[in-house]
Amino acid sequence: MANYLLFIATIGGIYGLLALGLNLIWGGTGMVNLGLAGFFAVGAYASALATTTAHLPIPVGWMLALIAGGGAGLVVVFSTTRLREDYLAIVTLGFAEVVRLAASNEIWLTRGTDGISGIPGPWKATLGPDFNAVYLPIVLAVLAVVFVLVRRIDRSPYGRALRAIREDAQVAQVAGKPVLRFKAQAFALSAAIAGLAGALYGHFTSYIAPDLFLPLITIYIFLSVAAGGIGNPTGSLVGAYLLMTLLESARFLVEFIPYVTAVQRAALKELLIALALILVLRLMPRGLLPERIPRAPSPQTGGKS
Amino acid sequence: MDLVLQAVVNGLVSGALLAVPAIGFTAMFAVLRFPNFSVSGVATLGAFAGYMAYAAGLQIVGSLSVAFVVAGTVGLFLDRVAHLPLVKQGALPAAIASIASGLVLENVVRLGFGNDMRGFDRPIARDVRFGDIRINPQQTETMGVALAIMLLVFAALAFTRVGKAMRASADNPELAALKGIRPERVAMMASFVGMGLVGVGGMLLGLDSSIDPLTGARILLSIFAAAVLGGLGSAPGAVLGAFLIGVAEELSVLVVGSPYRSAVGFFAILIVLSLRPRGLLGERAF
Amino acid sequence: MMNARIGRRATLLGGVAAVAAPAVLRAETDPIRIATLTPLTGAGGAYGPAMAKVAAAVVEEVNKSGGVLGRKVVLVSEDDQTNPDAGVRAARKLIDVDKVAAILGTWASSVTTAVAPLCWENKTFLCTVSGADTITQLPHQGYLVRTQPNTVLQITRTGGFLVGLGARKIFTLVPQTPFAKSSIEIMEGVARKAGGSHAGLIYDDKKTTYRTEVDQALRFAPDAILCAGYTPDTIVLLKDLYRAGYKGKIIGQAYAINRKLIEQVGQNEVVEGVYTYAPSVAEGSNALERVKKMSGLASPDPYTSQVYDHVNMVLMAMAAAKAFNGTAIRDNIRKVTQGGGKPVDNAIDGLKAIAAAEKVDYTGASGPCDFDDKGDILDCKFRYEQIKAGKPVLVKIA
Repeated sequence: MANYLLFIATIGGIYGLLALGLNLIWGGTGMVNLGLAGFFAVGAYASALATTTAHLPIPVGWMLALIAGGGAGLVVVFSTTRLREDYLAIVTLGFAEVVRLAASNEIWLTRGTDGISGIPGPWKATLGPDFNAVYLPIVLAVLAVVFVLVRRIDRSPYGRALRAIREDAQVAQVAGKPVLRFKAQAFALSAAIAGLAGALYGHFTSYIAPDLFLPLITIYIFLSVAAGGIGNPTGSLVGAYLLMTLLESARFLVEFIPYVTAVQRAALKELLIALALILVLRLMPRGLLPERIPRAPSPQTGGKS
Repeated sequence: MDLVLQAVVNGLVSGALLAVPAIGFTAMFAVLRFPNFSVSGVATLGAFAGYMAYAAGLQIVGSLSVAFVVAGTVGLFLDRVAHLPLVKQGALPAAIASIASGLVLENVVRLGFGNDMRGFDRPIARDVRFGDIRINPQQTETMGVALAIMLLVFAALAFTRVGKAMRASADNPELAALKGIRPERVAMMASFVGMGLVGVGGMLLGLDSSIDPLTGARILLSIFAAAVLGGLGSAPGAVLGAFLIGVAEELSVLVVGSPYRSAVGFFAILIVLSLRPRGLLGERAF
Repeated sequence: MMNARIGRRATLLGGVAAVAAPAVLRAETDPIRIATLTPLTGAGGAYGPAMAKVAAAVVEEVNKSGGVLGRKVVLVSEDDQTNPDAGVRAARKLIDVDKVAAILGTWASSVTTAVAPLCWENKTFLCTVSGADTITQLPHQGYLVRTQPNTVLQITRTGGFLVGLGARKIFTLVPQTPFAKSSIEIMEGVARKAGGSHAGLIYDDKKTTYRTEVDQALRFAPDAILCAGYTPDTIVLLKDLYRAGYKGKIIGQAYAINRKLIEQVGQNEVVEGVYTYAPSVAEGSNALERVKKMSGLASPDPYTSQVYDHVNMVLMAMAAAKAFNGTAIRDNIRKVTQGGGKPVDNAIDGLKAIAAAEKVDYTGASGPCDFDDKGDILDCKFRYEQIKAGKPVLVKIA
């Protein structure tokens, strides 16, 4: 039971990371990343390959995951220089699909549908069954670091500029903000965080395969951020753990429904999650924790806005 | 050369099937002003509704009508309840909600039918050969139906009062409202007819091969690509885009192999957005 | 503090009770734990339940005759959902919570590949029915055996069968799976050695039409096509091959081209003459009769027979080792399955012989069950059938 709870808490933390990343751009600049699963996969594969095929140490793998995720983010962003909201949405959606296809078919690189197994975990052999208990604090530590980073960005002039872009890009541009550059940076950072989350996931479960990176994960994260409160990093974390609670309760609830096959149970679970997202968007558009927009510094202090 | 020609032929067939839902998608975008990704779920729903009707004894036309009505009704319901209320907050929240509702529909179908692939109970016929090119008689039949539907739609848009009202409203909603065209009514029409076409498209696709809960999800990217390529909001553009995407997908198999077929839509969108964002026929209404 | 005292008192009392209890109860406190991890749901859901059932039947029989060296055997059964993620989670539970010595029956290659590292890291023995070659190439340190013929064996034999039928231009159509590339390479080798030619194509198994793929295949003008996919994609493939007017030989896996496929295709002309191959359950052996009874199936699939063998081998290995963990199984399994000795085909006889210090050689329901160092079976027979008028007819067993 303890192991199970540890497992849930760790996955929740990883989802929390993803939620922070999404919140940075959705709450920050109003951009969406419907291809979260794709960046998640890129990071996971980067780190897995680095530590298995190239036998590099785990922290290096995680660094590579960050770089790979961020790099992929830049590529996506610069492919659509005008970045109109709904176009970016479909491009990121397609990106995730292409990543999945490449992961399945470029066997020379990713071992295809076989997946990559035996991804090393930090001190795994010595820890044995205690591995889960040690990994959770690692994930939480990473989460804390990213959280602090994201909060600082949020409160900084950079963050205010991002929000200005969200509210009205044209005005922001007129005000002299390099809109395109900021958007690209934010997107790349968000993608890098997603990549790191992917690496953490891979080293935790020791196995990744293309089928694990389904668009459903993207829906999960959107639900987390929307429920928690778009624009509020704390809300994203709260939302992620709420999501885990919802997922696991759904699993238990659904097990008690009689005369239902396993396929139907899985379908019910997915249905509940998707329904929850629609309900949250419709009924709680602000989410649980409202966005806290820091006040602009008052004129006498001479602060630049 | 023969390979290329066969690919083009195959592409024209699949393009014709893709055109029907593409028209629906682009028309809805023109009037309702947000990309409705739930077409994946609605196409699947329509396919299964048509499947049940066919199995119950209705002929092709009857089953297609059932698919149309079921898909149109569900699509209308979802738009009014889940999507349109969000458009006030922007196209994006509505788009995100539409992805979720697409998933809901997919899983409802899965609940009822499981994951197995089902085929319409039609006799399998051997291809007809023209020299080195093969065409399946059933494919030509399905393609004929698709073309007929397209003609119907264009005729309705051009000649009926409702059609003209939709075009006017999409073109300039304020002016249309001034002229007495009720925007609410037009929106409802757009949802119903647009989704109905998507449902019919799903069934046509199923007639050609088979159906399962993922039927619609497989063509989502291609539908969007066709609409973007042709110019969002332009029905003739959607048709042109659909044929182009269909042929491009078939030709791509010759070059990069079969697994990356679905990536073609993605790259097409990228290229169009970078070089000519308004699409081939421009972002005009119909 | 209070709790600790109570704890110790209870343990003391429990200890006294345990010593005083009759022998049967003593066995209960130290049972042998093994588990099945089979696909009860998902793509492999048709096979998992029977596999688990036959394992339970063997365990029950063994317990009735006194267990293994007097200890009761406890079997835990979990569902891997034909999904590596679910399989890993279930395996964790089996290893961490149930503390089993062996896990038996993983079916999908992706599940086995994911679960194997957990097993060898925790010194739990794994018996699998997955066929992908890469599995035995993993660094499992001996904690893995598989009773399913690997891809090399399967394709070589199937290719040989096709060549025997007169095929000289073979085309392989295989979905994107762990055995895709090797299937094509191996068949290429077989065709060339017979003086023929070969080409292959890997396809996406989730498509609703394979017109283009069939086009490519037919450009090669093959006289035999290997359809190495699963039921859903093979249905579409066979239909498209028929539409395209292909009149040559077609062969596929029996687990894919089964009754369900024939039903779903619905038209006998489409499947007429299609060959199927499957690892042969050793026809006529007593072990097979036992499996039929235990599983309730008149013609058990190869996986059910293999799991029957898994349970027998693992229990006998532990008896020979007089130890009941994964390492003991690893070090003793080949001692009871090969290398000469009294031939046995079930655990009861085997355990009796081992107790009498005799060497045994187990031959199972799925074949001779002799393993090489990597865990692959050395050989097995194959069963070839052909569909005539909508029903499979035996061609030969070789």
